[in-house]
Order: sequence, then structure tokens, then C-alpha cells
Amino acid sequence: MDQEFHSAPDAKVTRNELASVITALEPDQIISTKEHHHCSRRRLTRTEMLLFWGLRFYLVFMVGVVVYQIWTGVR
Amino acid sequence: MQMNEPKTASEPRRFAVLQSNSPNEQPTSPADVVITHEDIDRAHDRQRVSATRARRGFRPRLGLFWLLLGPGILVMLGENDGPSMLSYAATGARFGVGFFLPFVVLTFVMACVVQEMTVRLGAATHRGHAELIFDRFGPFWGWFSMVDLMIGNFLTLVTEFIAVRAGLGFFGVRPAVAVLGALLVLSVALMTHRYWTWERIILGAAMFNLAFVPVALLTHPHWSAVGWALVTWKPLPGGLTQETVLILLANIGATVTPWMLFFQQSAIADKGLTTRDIRMGRLDTALGATLATIAALATMLATAPLFLHHMSATNFEAAEFAQALQPFVGYWGAALFALGMFEAGMVAAITISTSSAYAFGEVARRPHSLNLPFKQGRSFYLVLLVEAVAAAGLVLIPGIPLVYIVLLVNVIAVLAMPPALLFLYMLVNDREIMGSLVSPAWANVLALAVVVILVGAGLLFGISVLAPNVLALVGGR
Repeated sequence: MDQEFHSAPDAKVTRNELASVITALEPDQIISTKEHHHCSRRRLTRTEMLLFWGLRFYLVFMVGVVVYQIWTGVR
Repeated sequence: MQMNEPKTASEPRRFAVLQSNSPNEQPTSPADVVITHEDIDRAHDRQRVSATRARRGFRPRLGLFWLLLGPGILVMLGENDGPSMLSYAATGARFGVGFFLPFVVLTFVMACVVQEMTVRLGAATHRGHAELIFDRFGPFWGWFSMVDLMIGNFLTLVTEFIAVRAGLGFFGVRPAVAVLGALLVLSVALMTHRYWTWERIILGAAMFNLAFVPVALLTHPHWSAVGWALVTWKPLPGGLTQETVLILLANIGATVTPWMLFFQQSAIADKGLTTRDIRMGRLDTALGATLATIAALATMLATAPLFLHHMSATNFEAAEFAQALQPFVGYWGAALFALGMFEAGMVAAITISTSSAYAFGEVARRPHSLNLPFKQGRSFYLVLLVEAVAAAGLVLIPGIPLVYIVLLVNVIAVLAMPPALLFLYMLVNDREIMGSLVSPAWANVLALAVVVILVGAGLLFGISVLAPNVLALVGGR
């Protein structure tokens, strides 16, 4: 188990608590078992990459517009 | 990911025979299970949900809703934050009762469409938004979206403390005392180390957002004019100008922002909602949106008398709005307005800093839950507190143009929304993690409509700044 990622185990877990956790939570809700239920990485298509980067440039450009507006406002 | 749902509350789940939509999931044996403090707290909450769900009748239904509501109301009332309420107040004072009333209703409908997707994602995958982006699209986009969120959240947090400072300023509280007091409240709420308790405390505080309703009633609005504006979307005094576009964007940014996606999905995962709770999650979101719409409209109605009396509110801060309203609503009305501003900033400061901490933990693979004791969730609590302290400190620097920052933060939120929505759109249509819960066609059409509106509004803003004359071509001035 990747100790960096997960919460520390509780030192005083009773049998009842163990039972209640296993009964009440879905398997991938339990912190220590999350790694068995990870989502695999998906490959992005060319169109998706274009969209991602296009919107990224849109954001950078528009933030530039905001900065320009502040600059003109200050002047 | 979707798991087998037990038919009754008492039916145990068998770890060795799990089925999942993901081909990468491996069966889990009981030997692998390490129980944490966080698991025990979450299991306790889920047991109450299961026990209530097993009972029949109206009261148990209501009880179930009570147990499951929270993230939706918190995110919607949390977004009625300092800059949002100031934007609504500025809108009411600048444009009166007219176009912006139905426009704000539309923005909350947009918020509902977007947040419903996070309900499904959170309940189906039990993961926060940043964690899913990291897992599905890789570390580059994971870190990228987290850094985006952190920057946006930090700027927004600054404005929350501006609202806190301005709201309490009405009562003569000194800025340093107001800001330090807000930090203290934020820290005390965290000391519960329990998601459920934290959520109930913040929900109680968030209800004070409705303080703007009595203030609006004290101004004796012309209800026929309100009804007429909601139906006709008129009038829009001054037409389409650069200022109108800025206010338009500020009002969109007051209801639809990236932190909401991250917060609600992470809160749903932290609360432990499952696919069986999606209906209640939607109800929770719709109720939150309704309450937030009422508070937003009330704020615009409350400041509309300033428009009728031709009072310029261009550079008003919250306390100045309250003082200007005093002749129309009396001292107690003005005091309620100032308290509402304080509450808006306070609740949002808590929810927004929490969304940053969730996102950091999810991407940096550190523990991230409000159920964690401080020792186990040190990085989670530290990110939350450090961000809040830094933002609070900035507000105390003298001479900072606070009102301008407030409006621009909302504008930046609108501009940052389309990239965030693309991640959400792709995740919620990802059959591998969502199974049968992928978005139906009509939901995708609505989501795309939201993206088109947001990008269109952003471009309109760009045109209004870079080429104001072009506005005339689209009917503006």
C-alpha cells in the first residue's frame, strides 16, 4: 500500500468497526482498497488534444485581455 | 466506479466477487483491507443512511433527504459569495429591476446543469474531480487543472476576506480584527475533524445568505415590475455597453465557477454518496440553486432603490452599499445587508479553501478528508489554512483597489470555466468509469449550450475591451 497516499490505519479498530466498515462502504470507498479500483489512464484523441490546448490558449489570451483592461483602467 | 449495490441495508458486500466497469480493477481480498479513522467515520454516516432508507413512509424519506443534503446547498450558497453578492448589488444599483433579473435566473439554471454532472461523477466514482482528471488524463493535466484551481481560488479568497472586512466594517469593526476573526471561525469549523459536523455547521451559517430577502422586502419592490422584467427581460438601461458586458460576465462568474465543480464532487466523495443517492443529490443541488437564486434576486431588489434615486454606486464596497441603503430600509435593514455580506464572504472562504485542499490532496496523493484527525491529514489542513491566511493578509495591505479586484475575479472565473467544463464533459461521458450513468443526449446538449454561452460571453468581453466600436455591430454602443 502506498503509505504516502492513504490515511494512517487506525490503531484501535474493533471487530465491530471492521464489520461496519465492510458492510456500509462500497469497496472502492475504503481508503486502503482504492488502489485496486483505480481508473486507468485514457489516450486522448487528436481532436481532444486540440480542444484542450485550444481552450488553454483561449484562457491565456483572455487573461491577457483582462490584464490589458486593468492597465488601461489604471492609466 | 459503479459497484454492486446491496438490495437491503443489512446485506454485506463481498470483496472477492466485485464487479466493476473498469477492466483495471482487481478483486480485493479482506486481507488487503486496512481500516482508517476516515473509513470508520464514513461508514457510520452510511449506516444511518442505509437504516433510514430501509424504512418506508414520508418521514423516513424526509429523514433520508436530511442525511444526504449538503454538498449541493453548500456549493450553491457558497457561490453566493462576497464578489457575487457585490456583483448583484452593483447590478441592482446600476440597472434596477429589468434584464438582469431573468438573466441571473438563467445563470443558476446553467449552474444546476453543470453541478448535476458532478453529483453523478462523485457518486459513481467515489473520487474527487482533480483525482479523476489526474487518473484519466495523466499527471500533466492533473497538475495543470489543480494549479489553475489554486490560482483562481486564491484570488477569490482575497475577495471573500474583502467582503468579511467590508461587512463588519459597517459595525465599526477594524479590518484586522474582522479578518482575524474570520480566520478563527474557519479554524474552529475544522476542529470537528468530522465531515458531517463540519457540513452541518457550514449549512447553518449558509442559511444567513437569505438575510438579503428581508432587506429586499423592506424596500417595498414593485412586484408587477419584477414580474414584467422576469417575463420580458426588459428594460436594459443604457443598452449593450462595455460596462454592461463587464456586469454580464461578473454575474455569470457569480454563479458558475471552476471551484464549484471540484468542491461538490470531492464533498460527495468525502460524504460517501453512492449511485443510489444520485436522486437526492440532484434534489440537494436544485434546492441549493433555488435558495441561492432567491438570495441573488433579493440582493438586486434591495439595491434597486439606488438606481431609482440616481445614486452612483460605481465604487461602492459592501459597507457603503449598506450605508447608502439606510435611508430606504432603516438601520436594521442596512445592518442585515452588511451581515449578509459578512456571511457570504465567511461561508465562501471556508468552502473555497476546502476545495483547494481537496484538490491538492487528490493530485499530490496525500490524505484528503474532513474526517481526518489533524495528525493524519496534516497536509490537507495546512493547504487549507495557509491559503486562507495568505489571502487574508493581502486584504490588509492598504491602498489595494478592492472593488476592481472583486469584479475582475468573477470575470476570470468565467474565462477559466470552459477548460474546466471540457474535463467534466469528457469524464461524465466516459463509459469506462460511469457505466450506464453517462450523460444522456439532452444533458450533453445542455452542457454544450453552457459552454457556448460561456465562451460567447468571454469573447464579447474581449471585443468590448479590445474593439469597443465593434459592439455597435451587435446592437451595442
